[in-house]
Amino acid sequence: MQDRPRNPWARASGTVETAPADEPVKPADPSAPAQDTLQGAFVGRGRPLFWLALRTGGLTVLTLGFYRFWMKTRLRRWYWSSIRIGGVPLEYVGDPLEKLLGFLFAVVILAFYIGVVNLLLMFASFALLQGNVAAYLLSFVGVIPLWFYAQYRARRYVLARTRWRGLRFGLEPGAWGYAARALGHWLLTLLSLGLLWPRMTFKLEQYRTDRTFFGDRRLHQGGGWTMLFPALKWIALALLLGLVATGALGSGAGGLSFLLFLLAGILMLYGLAYYRVETLVRLTATKTLDGVGLRLAASPRKVLRIHLVGYLLSGLGIALPASVLGALFVFVQSAETLADMGLDSLPWAGLDRWVLVLLGVALYFSIFLIWSALTHALITMPLTRHYAQGLQLTGSGGLAAIRQRPRDEHIEAEGFAEALDVGASL
Amino acid sequence: MTGFETRAIHFDGQSAEPRDIRLQLDPARRSLTGPGVNWPLDEVREVPDQGGADLLILRRADDAVQRLILPDRSLAAQLPRRTAPVPAVQRRQIWIWAAAAVASVALIVFVLVPKMADQLAVFIPPEGERALGEVTLSQIRSALDESGTQSVGFCTAPAGLAALQRMEARLAAAMPEGQPLSVHVLDHKMVNAFALPGGYVVFFRGLIDEAGSPEEVAAVFAHEIGHVVSRDPTRHALRSAGSIGVLGLVFGDFAGGALVLFLAERLIDAQYSQSAEAAADAFAADLLLAAGLPPDALAEMFERFRRLGGDDEGIMAHFMAHPRLGDRIAAARTATPPDFAATPLLNDDEWRALKAICG
Ligand SMILES: [Zn+2]
Repeated sequence: MQDRPRNPWARASGTVETAPADEPVKPADPSAPAQDTLQGAFVGRGRPLFWLALRTGGLTVLTLGFYRFWMKTRLRRWYWSSIRIGGVPLEYVGDPLEKLLGFLFAVVILAFYIGVVNLLLMFASFALLQGNVAAYLLSFVGVIPLWFYAQYRARRYVLARTRWRGLRFGLEPGAWGYAARALGHWLLTLLSLGLLWPRMTFKLEQYRTDRTFFGDRRLHQGGGWTMLFPALKWIALALLLGLVATGALGSGAGGLSFLLFLLAGILMLYGLAYYRVETLVRLTATKTLDGVGLRLAASPRKVLRIHLVGYLLSGLGIALPASVLGALFVFVQSAETLADMGLDSLPWAGLDRWVLVLLGVALYFSIFLIWSALTHALITMPLTRHYAQGLQLTGSGGLAAIRQRPRDEHIEAEGFAEALDVGASL
Repeated sequence: MTGFETRAIHFDGQSAEPRDIRLQLDPARRSLTGPGVNWPLDEVREVPDQGGADLLILRRADDAVQRLILPDRSLAAQLPRRTAPVPAVQRRQIWIWAAAAVASVALIVFVLVPKMADQLAVFIPPEGERALGEVTLSQIRSALDESGTQSVGFCTAPAGLAALQRMEARLAAAMPEGQPLSVHVLDHKMVNAFALPGGYVVFFRGLIDEAGSPEEVAAVFAHEIGHVVSRDPTRHALRSAGSIGVLGLVFGDFAGGALVLFLAERLIDAQYSQSAEAAADAFAADLLLAAGLPPDALAEMFERFRRLGGDDEGIMAHFMAHPRLGDRIAAARTATPPDFAATPLLNDDEWRALKAICG
């Protein structure tokens, strides 16, 4: 059992203060941690997070979406400050007004693109092809490079607003290069039927890592893309099983084939979690920062379990308001049908239609809010905790020489990502 | 207030090296002091939204990078401005960009997109226009269905369709060649009719139910043909293609945004301009005259709408929304010359068949 210091004094004073044991984390290295190894910990709790997410989400709805910049900032502050490395918390210093500004900036640029381009595409696709499928397809394809661009820019902003031990992180400019590479790698991955997926995973991570700074020092991504190949093994097995199942179906063994398909499906789910976690572990272990090393211990089974249990419980959490909404809907429908048939002398005929509509809208939004708050507390938080607790910094003596980096003004913040809705990430 | 002393970790914001120090609250000088630390009490703020409730993390309002980490929160009560806001950077810039964003969206939605749509509507070939109308019609049909699972059906009683075609032929005979028309009745109680790109004219069952004579239906028909001929629906469809994406962009798609987007879409979708309506009325009056039908049937239909107005959400929005309905009624009345002799449109059997088109 390894100690996870919850505050910066635990190490200095030699006292070992153990985090409340959620469950033992296997050390990445079986040998005892060296003196200069810093251990990650996570101190946040689900309940306060649930209320924070619910409260800020409610304000977002009440302000017609404008509070979302504050909501995002406050949630990030909470998550960042819950992650402690060697007892010292991370800090998120992003500013909501700055996010609003970035969003406005993105609107100025994108409104033109989206308005004019969509109009022209709609015209062209109806004039030339007599249908709007081409327009949707083209405007979707046109947004893909922007999407990768926005992703990189958002990462740059978040890193520029993240601090640890008082020093800023940073990411060098390079969003268009990233977008071009991402497009190329996706094309190769599709053409190779997924065989070059690990190559894409590695190369894109390398592009980002090699441009990442902590203070004035640059991170380095070591290793090579072939080291990620083993991460595909469960997916390969699932595909193989699917092939066998198809064979069984062909030869008439319906029951057996169904069983095999089911098994292949479950294995595929595990395989995807395994790929995600295993590549993350391997990529983290080969990152270095000027002599400081990183290690991550994470379990694919635990990650999969968090997702399954989290979604199940969140689903149960919204089941009650959702069924009330469903009942209300059926009630309004049947009241209308009866009114149509002239049977409006029934007791609820006098009920104001607007009351029902308002009730429906309120219920609809509360389902939204409860769902988002529950998934924060039951999925995002446990996942973050799992990764944070598995993180180690080795050779931390090298940190002493690191100095501050200048502030990255980054006027557009993550406006493009916000406007294009890049991922539902934090 | 007595002196207060605690352990603290100081990060100077210049290096990653933590300094384990003794920190004192100096009541006389109103400051936090320690080796290398001298923070005026009024400048001390707590870093908010902490996930762990154990530590107290402090910053200076006038210094972005220095931090003090205290092992417990006992000092918190003695910091007078602990939760005061830290002045954010560049507030003026926010207003400038907000104005720029509003201006640019307004420019695009209200000027650029309509201008382009007006230009492009002229160039779209007939097949393209028909395809646009077809797609829009199927969208409207599924949007109108209240259960949300299927589309509102067409009314297809053969005798009713025959009567409708007779009406169409009578109006078409008075029109220049080459304008294809395609008329439908939707099985829905709304009192409404609309035109779509590519010559689609669509009546709702509610309108046929309410109409007092075949001439009133023909008058609405002629008005909608007026929109078709001047390509109002095509312009309109192209406009909304450009504008809706932009508004979706502005409001994002979180719950609150979805609601605003829905309302904004309604707003854009509402009406043609006043002049487009007047032009369609004038066109209808001429067409009815040329077809030997009384133009004041349009006035009668308008009056019927006015009487129905208010108690039903299904009232023909694009007729009712215009404040000068009275003027339009008067205009339609004066469009009938004093010596005008109408030729009957449908006989009683045909009129009954049209009324029963939805079965
Ligand atoms: Zn009209």
